[in-house]
Amino acid sequence: MDDLLADFVAETREMLEASGGEIVAWEADPSDRTRLDTIFRFVHTVKGNCGFFDFPRLERLSHAAEDALSECRAGRREPDGALVSAVLAIIDRINAMTDSIEAGEEFPEGGDEELIAALQTGEAIEVSSAAMSAPAPTPGTGTGTGEEDSPDEAGDDTPVAAKAQTVQRSIRLPVDLLDEVMKGVSDMVLARNDLARRLREAGDQPTIDGPFDRLSTILADVRSSITRMRMQRLEQLFGSLPRLVRDLSNELGKQVMVDFEGGEVELDREMVEMVRDPLTHIIRNAIDHGIEGPGERLKNGKREIGMLRFSARQAGNQISLVVSDDGRGIDVARLAEKAVAAGIYSQAEIAAMSERRKLHLIFEPGLSTADSVSAVSGRGVGMDVVRANIERVGGSIDVVSKPGEGAQFHLKLPLTLSIIAALTVGSNGQRYAVPRSYVEEIVFGASDNVEFAAAGDRTLVTFRDRRVPCLALGEILGIGEVDESDWEEKTLVLIRLAGDEVFALAVDKVFDHEDVVVKPIAPAVMETRLYAGTTLLDDGRPMMLLDLPSIATSRMQLGEGRLASHLVDEKDDEQVRETMRIMLFVGLDGRRRAVRLETVRRIDTVAREAIDLDGQRAQAVIEGEILTLLGHDTGELPAERCRLLRLSDGDREVVYAVREVLDATEVDRDLVPASGDPLIEGVTLVEGSLVPVLDGHALFAGLAAPREARRTWSCRIPRESDWARTILEPLVEAAGYRIVSDEAEEADIAIELAESAHAKTAAGAREVIRLRSAPDAAGADDTTIYRYDRDGLLAALKQARIGRTA
Amino acid sequence: MTELLLQCLIAGRPAAIPAREVQSVIAVEDITPIPGTPDFILGLTALRSQALTVIDCARAIGVENSAPVDERRAAVVDLDGHLYALLVDEAYDVGEALSEAVAVPGGFGAGWQRAARGLVETEHGPTLLLDTSALICTPRQDAA
Repeated sequence: MDDLLADFVAETREMLEASGGEIVAWEADPSDRTRLDTIFRFVHTVKGNCGFFDFPRLERLSHAAEDALSECRAGRREPDGALVSAVLAIIDRINAMTDSIEAGEEFPEGGDEELIAALQTGEAIEVSSAAMSAPAPTPGTGTGTGEEDSPDEAGDDTPVAAKAQTVQRSIRLPVDLLDEVMKGVSDMVLARNDLARRLREAGDQPTIDGPFDRLSTILADVRSSITRMRMQRLEQLFGSLPRLVRDLSNELGKQVMVDFEGGEVELDREMVEMVRDPLTHIIRNAIDHGIEGPGERLKNGKREIGMLRFSARQAGNQISLVVSDDGRGIDVARLAEKAVAAGIYSQAEIAAMSERRKLHLIFEPGLSTADSVSAVSGRGVGMDVVRANIERVGGSIDVVSKPGEGAQFHLKLPLTLSIIAALTVGSNGQRYAVPRSYVEEIVFGASDNVEFAAAGDRTLVTFRDRRVPCLALGEILGIGEVDESDWEEKTLVLIRLAGDEVFALAVDKVFDHEDVVVKPIAPAVMETRLYAGTTLLDDGRPMMLLDLPSIATSRMQLGEGRLASHLVDEKDDEQVRETMRIMLFVGLDGRRRAVRLETVRRIDTVAREAIDLDGQRAQAVIEGEILTLLGHDTGELPAERCRLLRLSDGDREVVYAVREVLDATEVDRDLVPASGDPLIEGVTLVEGSLVPVLDGHALFAGLAAPREARRTWSCRIPRESDWARTILEPLVEAAGYRIVSDEAEEADIAIELAESAHAKTAAGAREVIRLRSAPDAAGADDTTIYRYDRDGLLAALKQARIGRTA
Repeated sequence: MTELLLQCLIAGRPAAIPAREVQSVIAVEDITPIPGTPDFILGLTALRSQALTVIDCARAIGVENSAPVDERRAAVVDLDGHLYALLVDEAYDVGEALSEAVAVPGGFGAGWQRAARGLVETEHGPTLLLDTSALICTPRQDAA
């Protein structure tokens, strides 16, 4: 509401400023008709605006002034000096009240009657002395000094003006201008990218690189500021909804309460406008079809008053907006009947659909669950239009409904219209951008669990029990034929369109995720219905943005709902059975095992030297951190390099030695318990064979040391020796130690050369390893190690570390 | 008032583009093809971080052109907020039109007829004055 109020204040003040000159001119010549009109328009607008808010005094004042002025306009009254004074006094009062509203204060009571009375003919002189007792502020100066002694209650000197002046000032700008600036900044970013590329090509140029980096930083800041300038709080949108809900529920004889959450979430101004209509439509539907009448609600054990809840939150560069009601939910059976009746689907097609797909029928054109066409909804504009509008701005909509408990509409909207997150893919030597919002998953055609099948001219791909149509980008664009043998070399990008239709887009290569600035394309290119826009790559070359919904529609009649029902519908099972994602791997003993995917932080490959086994204790050093090693006891460690799964419980980490990492997959959440091995949580079936799943809890429960206790081991080497720098340093570093070169810094271990005259390396180190250059030891008490005795050196490093931990 | 013309050569014929429509003349080097578009749209090229749609004038008119693309120049024009690079064989000087554009009895041939506003006299002799918007909005060959 605050924003609306701020708008009101800003608009009033803007008009005051604009009409300031007019008022003065009118005062000089009361008979000037055009001046009169301007002032009339001002009080009229103020009066109109007041109607939206609860400002009875302001409304009464402006109304009185409007009345008097319209008398003059109608020629029934001759404007004279007295009238001018009275109107001016009212305008001043409006100004002062506006300041109070802005400062959030109560305007002192009283005084209005005199001002209104002053408008009446004949009483002018008396009133102007009463109402204008204060020195009249110069009209149109906004928050001048005049307000502090408002005409009434001169004794009450609340520092209205003082406060009003500290209020943050704002200016109103046309959105076009903002857009222009935004476009300019986007172009600047592109120009910067171009320059960056040229600079890279030209090699290191310290004198230019510095300022250029600064320019880049500034540009990034400016860009984010400009983006913020275009942002509007959702409150703005929410503010207008209670009224709409009230009117609709009154009309339909229902009682509905609204609840808002996340009004502080900001969204691109334009986007706010784009979602206004769809949102209104959803609200209409919810009140008309969803929420029951009070009687029915009471009978069903619900509160008499229905609840309509709006919640918004920002997730990355997307806004998720959920509209939920606690009504009767969407009648899926009726939806299905309607679809059959309307001839959109056959009975058989409907029967084959999952509940979820049936629910999505609500987005089909020409469907409405309303039995009778009411004044509110069911006027032929359906949810299909809502969906189309939301998709047009790059968003998506989904619906969830529980019979008797209500329905929820989930809207996902991009933050801005012009910058989108994209995946860049390659086909026949060219790059194309695919909006990220459509990409569900990327799989390699060569994977074992991906199977291709030909059905007529259509290629189908089966992946994780789902069979979806597969389109080759090259073929869509008409630039490359795909033989059956080629499919396995492709990368498949699984595209999920808003209607939950999925297809696989086969591309040669997937490059990168990028935020791209989308520019419109020429109409002739648009006609191809293949592209949604163009964007420039960092190297300055243009790249086309694919228009996936329209490709799907033209190539497969997807999006029109025809082919969608032929999908292998596994959704049913997924909804009933809870699944979890696991990572399959082969342990050191050659057996397959799995671990919950959430616990896997990443996969590391380390040299055998970085792993240290010593009786019960097993540790691995990764990037200077010592981590507890598990899984090593199942079999032989590989001789050279070892793959480690790095598992984390959020605070602590362990590594698990594996022979090979296989794949991530989804399995039934209910594991079959297995007894015997405490580290195994249970077993599950993966492609028909039993796979034990590691018990994440047990893995971490056995850990004694919290993460903080781990530290990087540092090692100092003699910097003055070329051999130490070039041969020794990489070896020590590979073993997981941090090299200390600063003489003053303390090091855990120091390595020094026995022959070296100055032994200052050793200073400040807790353990010292001495290296000699002769292969043979000088004597029995010679503890030095031959500098090329790799094993000896690593053993000594290890020994030093154990000595420290013991 | 005489009109200034950018004189050029398209498919070996003298032609002219109204100079006030031309923002600049560039040498087109790198063209990113856009698959699926009519053949006269060669693709996109970048000019000062803006993407230009490259139109092969000769193909848009419907005559084959043999000149290799990398040696050709293009006139940059703006139509309805979109920038186009009109690829020509050669771009010469800007000169004055010495007459109004007039029709020629019998026409100039179908493609030329559609893309030209008429014949104008110039210092270099009679030249066809092109209508850039008609040229750009050439209907798709398969649709025609």
